[in-house]
Amino acid sequence: MLARATRFAATPPPRDLLRDVCVVNLFFEASTRTYTSFALAEQRVGADIVALPPGSSSLGKGETIADTALTLAAMGVRVIVTRHPESGFPYRLAESFEGHVINAGDGRHAHPTQALLDLLTLQKEFGEIAGVRVALVGDILHSRVARSNVIGLRALGADITLVGPQTLLPDAMARDGVRIARDLDAVLPHVDALMLLRIQHERIAPGVLPSLDDYARNYRLDARRLALLGRNAIVMHPGPYARGIELTEDVFAYPGWRYAQQVAHGVFVRMAVLDFLVNASTRDANPA
Amino acid sequence: MSALLIRGGRVIDPAQNLDALRDVLLRDGLVAAVGERLGDTDAARECTVYDATNAIVAPGFIDMHVHLREPGHAHKETVATGSAAAVAGGFTAVACMPNTEPAVDSPALVAEVRRLAQAAGLARVYPIAALTRARAGAELAPYWQLHDAGAVAFSDDGAAVRNPRVLRHAALYARDVPGVFISHCEDVELRDDAVMNEGVRSFELGLAGAPDLAEDLNVARDLLIAGDTGKRFHIAHLSTAMSVELMRFARAHDIAATCEVTPHHLLLDDARFERFRADAKVNPPLRAAADVRALRDAVRDGSIDVFATDHAPHTAQEKARLLSEAPPGFSGLEIAVGAYAHALPDLPLSRFIALLSTNPARILGVPGGTLALGAPADITIFAERPWRVDAAAFHSLGKNTPFDGADFQRRPIATIVAGALLMKDGTIVRDVSR
Repeated sequence: MLARATRFAATPPPRDLLRDVCVVNLFFEASTRTYTSFALAEQRVGADIVALPPGSSSLGKGETIADTALTLAAMGVRVIVTRHPESGFPYRLAESFEGHVINAGDGRHAHPTQALLDLLTLQKEFGEIAGVRVALVGDILHSRVARSNVIGLRALGADITLVGPQTLLPDAMARDGVRIARDLDAVLPHVDALMLLRIQHERIAPGVLPSLDDYARNYRLDARRLALLGRNAIVMHPGPYARGIELTEDVFAYPGWRYAQQVAHGVFVRMAVLDFLVNASTRDANPA
Repeated sequence: MSALLIRGGRVIDPAQNLDALRDVLLRDGLVAAVGERLGDTDAARECTVYDATNAIVAPGFIDMHVHLREPGHAHKETVATGSAAAVAGGFTAVACMPNTEPAVDSPALVAEVRRLAQAAGLARVYPIAALTRARAGAELAPYWQLHDAGAVAFSDDGAAVRNPRVLRHAALYARDVPGVFISHCEDVELRDDAVMNEGVRSFELGLAGAPDLAEDLNVARDLLIAGDTGKRFHIAHLSTAMSVELMRFARAHDIAATCEVTPHHLLLDDARFERFRADAKVNPPLRAAADVRALRDAVRDGSIDVFATDHAPHTAQEKARLLSEAPPGFSGLEIAVGAYAHALPDLPLSRFIALLSTNPARILGVPGGTLALGAPADITIFAERPWRVDAAAFHSLGKNTPFDGADFQRRPIATIVAGALLMKDGTIVRDVSR
């Protein structure tokens, strides 16, 4: 998938890769970045696109997941790109849908295309992901981005450290190849890539965090902490980032800040996923 | 009324320390004789004979934790279908929980459940009444009047009574009312929006999990309230290793408390959670493998008093909803006997029967639980006979079980209530004489 995305980044593919293929974007959660990225990717491979704005689905009116899947399939929809606040929604949808389902983020569970674009960013930077020391910082427990990245990074042999306070990163999340740290300052000199995650204000009311400032004391990336990073270390963020909370404006001037590259890679990765799902089986079986 | 002779079975009655090959003669709804070669006596000549050779004859099994869904949720189960499921599963009696719509919190509603059970004419059905009005956790239910109407116990099952002051006052007021308080121990704040057990698996799946602590804290609280007030408490569906330790603590301190365990908590752990389906969703949740082992050990060493299913029928459509919206629970009556034996194949039969009959009868204070002369002629006959669970064939409207297709070794083969043979080899027999 990464190779395919790299190819598309170097040479734009013909705009008819998904000619006459209908793709529905079924987003139940607000999204600017991911939604736009998918829409652009779909346009660049020439798909027919239908976007259902959040709240317009009949799912809220008593229609079951299976009903929705059958209805869309009957209209000739081949691909559903979906984002939903509940973990596992795309899996449930895929059970009843004949076509392809692409997970654009489900609850706290997974965000696979985000992980792919992050992997692509690391690969571009370091050539090979095996052995690259990556630290993910922040609300790991509630982060689908973190979960998908850990899966991808483990598969490709990266050295992974998760960093955050206990309520956002339970001890039990440590496992083979995944280390847990509480002290970000001690981790910073030993990483090649730092992935910051968004901290949400909603974590304060249920008592998971005392305040964003208290969090920032230990985990906000500021000028002092940037200075602790190794010379060639990069800093990544899936967005949207909150200035003054998980990072300060100093980060934007840091030479290793890779946010823009991540966003750019997102479109190529999503083109690759669409092309792979719709065309890979037939085309790869009959090489031209 | 006709008489029934059960001939040639191994009769086990823990209440009398009896374990021997005996015949059992039932007449006028009561146990008339237990002895050798009763078939040769004149009294037995005109009897119907049930040949129990190679089978175990036990006092009728009582499931003290079931949901029969009436009033209010007859699409999930009715008292009639639920009591059919009971006798099909080898149970002569069930005690049904009051989390209905409306909640069973008045004498009239207790009477209504009894009337429905009477009309069904199958298993004995003992209503459990709400512990607080509308199960809202604020105002006490009228315990004496509910007792007069036939309630055998009190519970807000489905949730814990949130306010410890309310529960303490309830326990003090009701101390002398016959009828144990049954506690569903899950702290609602700690459980929050959990759909499964909190642990490695919930972290992997990105699902909200309920920590052991949600149960443990409430078990400790309710046991201490039992000790403080002197009211007898029964802790429903233990699921954690620590709950078992807390029960042992209570016993050591002479606190009047008993407890139960379900088939699913004895057999399944949270690894069962897959594909984001609600098939394995239940409250309290399926826990870690270590908890399953601790619960089995607790049954073996006598720390757990009762096997109870928490029979919770739901429609297939309800269980197919998104995980957060699907209701918790499993249909349990028709898998129970096989499942308990599967979890604990080495458990002595007398203990097996004590957990299913002697103990629940004693805890609820209901007739049965023994084959002593003059006891109700409620009998469960079972055998070591391999069988496969087929949920589609359940008498219960709820086909929701994680055990569909499971192979079990022990099977109920006859259910006799008040001397009438109501189930034989899995088929319900309607006895017109009743």
